[in-house]
Amino acid sequence: MRRIFQALGAAALLLLTAAADTGRIAPDYAVVKPGVAIAFPADHGAHPAFRTEWWYVTGWLDSPEGPLGFQMTFFRTRPDVDQANPSAFAARQVLFAHAALSDPAVGRLLHDQRVAREGFGLAQASTTDGDIVLDDWSLRRGADNRWRGKAGGKDFALDLTFTPGQPPLLQGQGGYSRKGPQAGQASHYYSLPQMAVSGSVRRGGRTVKVSGQAWLDREWSSTLLDPRAVGWDWVGLNLTDGGALMAFQVRDAAGRPLWAGGSLRTAEGARTVFAPGDVAFTTRRSWRSPRTGAVYPVERGLAVQLPGGPRAFVLKPLFDDQELDSRAGGGPVYWEGAVSGDGARGYLELTGYFEKLTL
Amino acid sequence: MAADAARPSVAALSWLILGEWRSQPMRVITAALAIAVGVALGFAVHLINASALDEFSRAISTVNGDADLQVQAVSNAGFDEALYPRLARAPGVATASPVIQLTGVVEGQSDGLTLIGLDIFRAAAVTPNLLGRPTAADGQAGFGDAGAVFDENAVFLSPALMAGRAPGQKISLSAGGRTTRLTIAGSLPGVAEGRRIAVMDIAAAQWRFGQIGRLQRIDLKLAEGADRDRTRAAVAALLPAEAELVTRESQTRRSDSLSRAYRVNLNMLALMALLTGGFLVFSAQSLSVARRRAQFALLRVLGSNRRALMSQVLIEGGVVGAVGAGLGLGLGLLLAGAALRLLGGDLGGGYFQGGQPALVFAPVAAGVFFVLGLGCALVGSLAPAGEAARAQPAVALKNAGDAVDPSARPRILPALILLLLGGACAFAPAIGGLPLLGYVSMALLLAGGVAAMPWLARALLSPLQARSIRSPAAELAVRRLWGAPSQAAVALCGIVASTSLMIAMAVMVSSFRGSVDDWLGQVLPDDLYLRYEGPSEAGGLDPAAQARLAAVPGVAAIHFTRAQPLRLNPDAPPVALVAQPVTRDDPGARLPMIGKPRPPPPGLTPVWVSEPAAWLNHLKVGEVIRLPLKGGTKVFVAGVWRDYARQNGALVLTSEDYTRLTGDALRAEASVDLEPGADLDQVSAGLKAALPPELADRTRFARPGQIRGIALGLFDRSFAITYVLELVAILVGLAGVAATVSAQTLARTKEFGMLRHIGVRKRQITAMLAMEGALLGAVGVAAGLTLGLIMSQVLIHVVNPQSFHWTMQTRLPWGLFAIVTAALIAASAGTALLSGRRALSVDAVRAVREDW
Amino acid sequence: MLALHGLTKSLPGGRVLFSGLNLTIAPGEFVAVMGESGVGKSTLLNVIAGLDTADSGEVLIAGTALSGLDDDGRTLLRRDRIGFVFQAFHVLPHLSLARNVALPLVLAHADPARALERATTLLDEVGLAGRGGDYPRQLSGGELQRVAIARALVHRPALILADEPTGNLDPETADRIMGLLTAQARQAGAAALIVTHSEKAAAAADRVLSLTHDGLVTHGR
Repeated sequence: MRRIFQALGAAALLLLTAAADTGRIAPDYAVVKPGVAIAFPADHGAHPAFRTEWWYVTGWLDSPEGPLGFQMTFFRTRPDVDQANPSAFAARQVLFAHAALSDPAVGRLLHDQRVAREGFGLAQASTTDGDIVLDDWSLRRGADNRWRGKAGGKDFALDLTFTPGQPPLLQGQGGYSRKGPQAGQASHYYSLPQMAVSGSVRRGGRTVKVSGQAWLDREWSSTLLDPRAVGWDWVGLNLTDGGALMAFQVRDAAGRPLWAGGSLRTAEGARTVFAPGDVAFTTRRSWRSPRTGAVYPVERGLAVQLPGGPRAFVLKPLFDDQELDSRAGGGPVYWEGAVSGDGARGYLELTGYFEKLTL
Repeated sequence: MAADAARPSVAALSWLILGEWRSQPMRVITAALAIAVGVALGFAVHLINASALDEFSRAISTVNGDADLQVQAVSNAGFDEALYPRLARAPGVATASPVIQLTGVVEGQSDGLTLIGLDIFRAAAVTPNLLGRPTAADGQAGFGDAGAVFDENAVFLSPALMAGRAPGQKISLSAGGRTTRLTIAGSLPGVAEGRRIAVMDIAAAQWRFGQIGRLQRIDLKLAEGADRDRTRAAVAALLPAEAELVTRESQTRRSDSLSRAYRVNLNMLALMALLTGGFLVFSAQSLSVARRRAQFALLRVLGSNRRALMSQVLIEGGVVGAVGAGLGLGLGLLLAGAALRLLGGDLGGGYFQGGQPALVFAPVAAGVFFVLGLGCALVGSLAPAGEAARAQPAVALKNAGDAVDPSARPRILPALILLLLGGACAFAPAIGGLPLLGYVSMALLLAGGVAAMPWLARALLSPLQARSIRSPAAELAVRRLWGAPSQAAVALCGIVASTSLMIAMAVMVSSFRGSVDDWLGQVLPDDLYLRYEGPSEAGGLDPAAQARLAAVPGVAAIHFTRAQPLRLNPDAPPVALVAQPVTRDDPGARLPMIGKPRPPPPGLTPVWVSEPAAWLNHLKVGEVIRLPLKGGTKVFVAGVWRDYARQNGALVLTSEDYTRLTGDALRAEASVDLEPGADLDQVSAGLKAALPPELADRTRFARPGQIRGIALGLFDRSFAITYVLELVAILVGLAGVAATVSAQTLARTKEFGMLRHIGVRKRQITAMLAMEGALLGAVGVAAGLTLGLIMSQVLIHVVNPQSFHWTMQTRLPWGLFAIVTAALIAASAGTALLSGRRALSVDAVRAVREDW
Repeated sequence: MLALHGLTKSLPGGRVLFSGLNLTIAPGEFVAVMGESGVGKSTLLNVIAGLDTADSGEVLIAGTALSGLDDDGRTLLRRDRIGFVFQAFHVLPHLSLARNVALPLVLAHADPARALERATTLLDEVGLAGRGGDYPRQLSGGELQRVAIARALVHRPALILADEPTGNLDPETADRIMGLLTAQARQAGAAALIVTHSEKAAAAADRVLSLTHDGLVTHGR
């Protein structure tokens, strides 16, 4: 999902280029550069000069009825609007938020969303610390370094507190993460893995106390995916031994990886960054969506190269139907669900399986 | 003696009724036609209006979407956008969708459109039907909505506006005094056919059309389970004076009140036509009963009881009514369809704009009008039926022919009571904003007038009767009418009803037209006028453009005006807030003041209110009122002026005060005083060159005389339906006279036979009949004119002020009076003559011997 | 069949037309009443028919007293038991001859088809065979009175009342009509009361009475 908004931005750019009259002032997007140090707490906050950015929380919850998966995501995007427009409604920044609950008892995703242009105090993202408000949804970092997330709607609601158990994990080279074969295809990227979750989940009218582990991804960028990319696979896993593993691959039309990457940090803090050749995704079992007909490799094999030799995981979904069809809201069809196996629990994202994300 | 045995026999009734109709088809047809005309007119007016209202409310709901609640600006200037976050956070509100809503035009065209600026994210939850569907230049719906909807140059067009255009093309729109070239980004699939709506991003709309910081509307979606009334109250408490909470109901009420008075007038006219039909049925049935007195007596002898006779007459009337009403419904449907096509949903009244409404059939209304038609016919038959049943068979059998007793003196008291009651009702106030008692007054006057006919006929003929007349024919004619005034009354009641109604309407319309003509002379003092085709809100001249125009050679002085709607009350249509080149010292120089204007106390801004505005909003000279402008401005009502242009009222401010209070420095229309000797065409060309190009195309220059012509043309168009009604009324009346006179004449065949026997020549009888007819017509005209003049005063001084809130001075259409008089007299004399010829063709011996 | 007991009637002005009239007519009997104009002959007929009311006294028709009946009751009695013939024929101009004759039956809820059948039979009997479809306008006075006689008999009344039935006819036709009327009444077995000032017409009756200020007296005395 995170990369979808890069695609959105790109599409907007194309349309606008066609429509734009002369004399307009286009936004000057900041460029992702290596060697820029990540600094907290300011980098928990928004980076409005970049085209796109997200706060992406996924995780497993233990409820009295059994395990649940959840995701709670806030996006910021900077559309290509005329910077000269003095209107307070000018869409200089747009905030999206998305939340989903994976409950095996339901057998499909419960999800809801919010979207608004920034302004009027109804939608805003602080640039000094993690503090995003979007109508009745919010994600805020407190003075005690705990994050509090609220999201939900008619079918379900999440009110969760995330307590980081480890220092931030800077991805790539000190937070500079390559996304494609070209040097410009990159983002600033850090993660907060192994966060302890406490709080409550409401389904329908019933609220239950929950606890669990979560993973927060923070990424901001202005640049595009490779034009040959059709979709991508991403996984973020909290290991039971306290380790944190992230791996992704960008696929071309033939399903071959155009680019791959990731990292593993052990409980002790030892970090391994994966080169494109160090990550291998395999398909163990596929599931066909009865709604869209898309076929997703929901049971994956993942092998990564570590200094001590290769490590392999077999990742099984909490349940098969964790597909999300957001076409009604103008978004894509993709699969995003809770997975586990071989001492790991986390989230798997599969995009570009329904149709190529055309730019 | 069972009740069953006394029941009228169906077979006998059908023999008798059908036999009667076979022998008198014309009379039955006229009566049925009269009912049909009344029903048709009433039903058509109702259908047209229902269709127009339906169209109007559909138009409103298209523009408004399906918001649960809506906050609207009281004027086009809108309200501060800071209200938006406050409403979004109000308890019970799930989503607030801010909206820019402007009246605009496509450059170079004069048809208006509604330009809407939306925040797509908010509108998606509140008014999804207004969302655009982006279409890439290759015609494919693309992925990437997020981009196109933020584009400050992109606009989405409703199907009606898209006609002849394609996505990717450019379109120039003018609104709020600005013109912008935009790219068509796609269509509005959720907007119905015929609606002219353009949607763009709210930020783009604010920027491109000069609305930065302002909103015209906020649509609200309530949270699930929120209490509607409590939320309403919470929202209402947050609103500034420039905004108000509206609901679907209040909007429908507003659109309804827009044309209500006009429509009630038309409906009442239709009911009057129906009433005329009722009188014609009465007249036809009375004559028929009188003619059949002996027949009814025979039936009584043969064993029909009173109930059977009464049933027979009532059934005859009822069938006439039912046939007429059924015919009328079909006619009404046709009429409504034709009128909608030719005149539009407001019958040329100018109340509704936009698409041509589709005809909506109204089964309930159809039922009501059918029952009304039937009821009229039955009521009209009631008195004759009673008479038929009451008659003494033994007497009736002996006296065949019309039983007239010249020594009986016609009664005037019941007529006087009716007339007095009618007069009293004229002084009653309006009910619910409608002059209902004014109409009751007219109906009572009509009934009283008709009831007074026998007395009046005798009173009018008494001077003639008292002196001896040389010509035997004339003598016979006068004595006959004088001796049988009730017969004359029966013949005349239909024509008196229709003539008086027609005269009343004609006097009202001619008074109205004359007053409007005078008024136009007063409000058009300058040499040259600039006006635009299409909505004036869409364009405007900024101060620089105004200065350029003033500097054009040949212009001695140029005066600018500007009007924008301002709602003083959520349920009433908006008044016009007008900037006029008036001065505080002498407003009468440019406004046709009623009464003396009062100077405002120091520190207060004067406002001069039009007559309808004063009436509708209960404003009095000397009063201090608060206008719902920024901060709620206190103004002083300094005077009332006559205005026929804006039915919902207008408030005039001096140009400076207008700019100061509204912040709107744009001016729309202008009038020019020429320097002596300046050439009109040269000055026009100079002005045109000085205008902003987007306005120049739709600017028209007109001299006062031309404007006057256009205005009176519009006036006549809006009264076209009234003229049609008048024509129909008089034709029905004439047909009624013809049928009645010919029936009465034919009934007197025996009398003519007797006259021939005693040596009266055929020519003399013909002359007598023509004279009788002419006298009858003259009495009818005298009564109809008098009654019509009285009723016209009710229309002018009661009905019009109460429904349109303006006054006028009576003007009499002498030419029309002459035509009506001549036509009526000629028609009754002519028909009497013609049917007399027919009656005389029966040979005299046989005529005397004949039974009936 | 018809009985009058002490019948008294005055005009509104107070002039007494007749008082204490007594008369009985048996079934099949044909009685003529003569008298000068204005003596009250027609009024007597109207009182008997229930179209007018007597000041005192009683009218009994087939045993039923008129005074015990309301207007509807008298109407029904007329419809079912009495047949009328008038001086002016009173034939409805817009109904065919057959319908004119059948009207009394149809008014009494008879089946219209059968009523027309009987009317045709009666028209045959009064010498108008085959003319049931004609309209009254096409007929002469004598023919019209034949229609009226057929109509008076069509519902087999117990009593036939005739008011100057030959008053509008030339003498020759009058003779024939009187013959027809008496023959038909006898054939039907109905009591008949005819009011006339024509000696010739009265001659056909079984009994001829004069209405005078003293009451009904045998004519000629």
